[in-house]
Amino acid sequence: MQISILSRYFGNTSSDKADTVNIAKFFIILGQLVLLLLAVRQFQIESQAFLTVFLLAIGGFCVHYFLPYRWRIHWFLILSLASLPLVLGWYNALSLIAIGLLLLLICHLPIQFSYRVLLICMAGIGLALARAGEIGGNLNSAIWPVLGSMFMYRLIVYLYDLKHDRVPEGMTHRMAYFFMLPNVCFPLFPVIDSNNFRRLYYSEERHVIYQTGVVWITRGLVHLLLYRYVYYYLTVAPSEVVHAGDLMQFLIANFLLYLRVSGLFHLVIGILHLFGFALPETHKLYYLSSSFTDFWRRINIYWKDFMMKVFYYPIYFKLKRHGEIKAIVVSTLLVFMLTWLLHSYQWYWLRGTFPIEWQDGAFWGILAVLVVINSVWEIRSGRQRTLSKVHWLSRQSLIKSVKIVLVFSAICSLWSLWTCESMEEWLAMWSALGRTPWSISLVAAILTGLAIGVLLISAINTSMTNTRQEQVTGKAGQGPFAAPRLLSNCLLVALLASLGLPQIYTNFDAQTANFMLSLRSEKLSRTDTAKLEKGYYEDLVRVDRFNSQLWEVYAKKPSNWLSVTGSGLKEFTDDFLQHRLRSSSKSITEHGAISTNQWGMRDREYTREHPPGVYRIALLGASSVMGWGVEDSETFDAILENALNEHARREGLPAVEILNFAVAGYYPLQQRMVLENAFAFEPDAIFYIATGREYHRAALYLQEVISKKVDNPYPFLTALANRAGINADMPKTEILQRLQPHKDELLTWLYQEIASRCRERGVQPVWIFLPQVNPGHWVKTVAKTEAEAATAGFDIINLLDVYADYPMSEVQLTEWDFHPNALGHHLVADRIFDTLVKDPSRYLGATLTRAQLE
Amino acid sequence: MDIKSTVKNYILREFLPGEDAENLEDETPLIASGILDSLATMQLVSFLEGEFGVAIAPHETDPEYIGTINAIEQLIQSKSSS
Repeated sequence: MQISILSRYFGNTSSDKADTVNIAKFFIILGQLVLLLLAVRQFQIESQAFLTVFLLAIGGFCVHYFLPYRWRIHWFLILSLASLPLVLGWYNALSLIAIGLLLLLICHLPIQFSYRVLLICMAGIGLALARAGEIGGNLNSAIWPVLGSMFMYRLIVYLYDLKHDRVPEGMTHRMAYFFMLPNVCFPLFPVIDSNNFRRLYYSEERHVIYQTGVVWITRGLVHLLLYRYVYYYLTVAPSEVVHAGDLMQFLIANFLLYLRVSGLFHLVIGILHLFGFALPETHKLYYLSSSFTDFWRRINIYWKDFMMKVFYYPIYFKLKRHGEIKAIVVSTLLVFMLTWLLHSYQWYWLRGTFPIEWQDGAFWGILAVLVVINSVWEIRSGRQRTLSKVHWLSRQSLIKSVKIVLVFSAICSLWSLWTCESMEEWLAMWSALGRTPWSISLVAAILTGLAIGVLLISAINTSMTNTRQEQVTGKAGQGPFAAPRLLSNCLLVALLASLGLPQIYTNFDAQTANFMLSLRSEKLSRTDTAKLEKGYYEDLVRVDRFNSQLWEVYAKKPSNWLSVTGSGLKEFTDDFLQHRLRSSSKSITEHGAISTNQWGMRDREYTREHPPGVYRIALLGASSVMGWGVEDSETFDAILENALNEHARREGLPAVEILNFAVAGYYPLQQRMVLENAFAFEPDAIFYIATGREYHRAALYLQEVISKKVDNPYPFLTALANRAGINADMPKTEILQRLQPHKDELLTWLYQEIASRCRERGVQPVWIFLPQVNPGHWVKTVAKTEAEAATAGFDIINLLDVYADYPMSEVQLTEWDFHPNALGHHLVADRIFDTLVKDPSRYLGATLTRAQLE
Repeated sequence: MDIKSTVKNYILREFLPGEDAENLEDETPLIASGILDSLATMQLVSFLEGEFGVAIAPHETDPEYIGTINAIEQLIQSKSSS
């Protein structure tokens, strides 16, 4: 073992050691990998692309294992290159390889090093222009995130190592460094050091490396499943933070979302171990950091090492003659500033924009100051280190645990800056502490919880630290093949694989089975779905880049997704509606034309006066009803109108007109005013189209009109705001928090207003529930919303299962856009048609009677 | 005193006070075990430069140069001989 420890640091690979074949160990490793593959498949870990690449990696490992040492790096390169067309397609893969080879060629041109750096910079500028779409129009946008993740940082560190003659030897090893498997699936990829990639290749006994990889892949899966649990069940929006308990949940859940990144990094580094790269452990017990410097060291060692090597040490060495403390302070601050800028640089390659946002600045700035203070403190006072075992009840361990709790709390608070859209929102969230009914028993319960937490952390931290220390110092016996460690990992892998099987989890009670089912797929959480919806309306650019699944959805979304060309879709108004569709306009979107008539409806022309012998319906709704994402002729309104009229012609019945008053971005409360506009067209029926989250969306709009001081013609809304103690100067989050208890009465008022106004005018009110394409927590409120509408006096048509016979991907516009596509609109039109013609006396008034239809 | 002993004594004194000297071996990984973090690395570099009269470059803060006491000895010897 000592030899392997030695070789980890010197990289003196012994081909004998690397060529040893042990069939028993091979099958133990392979068995675990097969079970992991099953778990990845059953839990749909990441993407289909990852499943394919993981399968390729496991198949490749079987060949790799039996190849002579000198051939293995070539085989790894072949696998890495093969993964590119599998995921990106041939054209994109070849484009990527060509660009990569060109960059690598420049690095090794037989000219002065500084000229090579200059040429690389020029090539980088050229690629950046191509990324922005200024040049290179033939390149597909799909390659940029992958190209970026392969070259944006690795080229920097490669040039640094090239200068000091420490890059991998031979073209194969160098190419493998840039195109390495499984990078093609992961835009967020650890910044692997080129010197480590060379030095640590087969630097330990080969089976130890492979099994370590298996352990880390397993750990990665556990992180990702824990992440899903936190993401689906624990996250709350800032506006939902009402009391101290909500605040604690918000803070902890947001920080725990980082499990996704740590899980992915474990998968990546684990897979690389299967091919002999004994790279350093990533995210080592990062939730157990006992100081801010410790946190910086642990959370992403690849990033930390990159920044230290390329920026921190060179800056420090230049400045150290001015004094150690001064050099540390300046180098640290510069490194954190660069970290901030480099994250925006990373975002540019992944998304095509270079965001400079206060949240990032605040996070990195505050962390920089904390790390500087902590560093100076450590320089002056020293830091406790030991190579000996520590007892969990020792004073040293307990003090450390208290520090862990304090650092964890501080980092959670800091992390929450990233998830808030404004400082006001962040501060409003903390006002929950003031609204909490504090009592002695509550304080006592918190203190008791903290004390138990400290003891637990002490036990966990001590045990894990002692184990790690034994591994690192070579006192852990057979390493990952020691019986207890091997057995526990095999059991864990078997458990992961089996829990994902319906044959297993359906044997539990319904609640457990549903819980397992929910963990088996990747979807947006309730809060992120709300953000994505909000994105349609506000063109929200900022999403949580480091801790949210929304990031990936946005990463796939074209930056011009919301843009329309032509005369423009909307115009602003000075009333409660705030905006409406422009009249007689034509706008071109990614999915075709959006044309409006003279009245500003996305519809054909109609007369204002009700034509005789026609049954006229007015549709009230938002983007799905307006038909965002489909052609003029593909909206369910157009299809339904045609179908009803065809049916009427066939049956000799009066014609039907459906006037579409829906506008993208409208919230429920705005429909109160749209209703009055619709009455001007003398409709026989009002079809109010409701969607998921009616309660929340009603509250959101009231908050918006209060914050913007929009003219509010409805005394009830003013009275409700007064009762809730809301004023326009409050932060948005606080207004929403105060509206939380009043959501029900808000929607009750709206529905009763619409229904009673309809009855006054002899118009039939019909409430239609049009579900979102993506299932989500909104489903839970549908029954309540429907009951609310029925009580108000609406006739009800519930289309909750309208898309049920189709996979979501077939009826959803795109992965990042949950509006129904053309097929979805057809399904909606067909279902409404069937409902209307089955009971015309109910839904189509007296004009079309059953007798006429028959 | 030889290079190894000097370095070992320094590490024990500055970073591992109270530690049993036998626990720190010539091949103990100084970085992976957490003994040398970035701050300790810089302190060690200052010590080595002052004690042995050598100049250490930024890239020589990598584990292959200062990852173990043996590695540090090699680094100092190579610098002294050149």
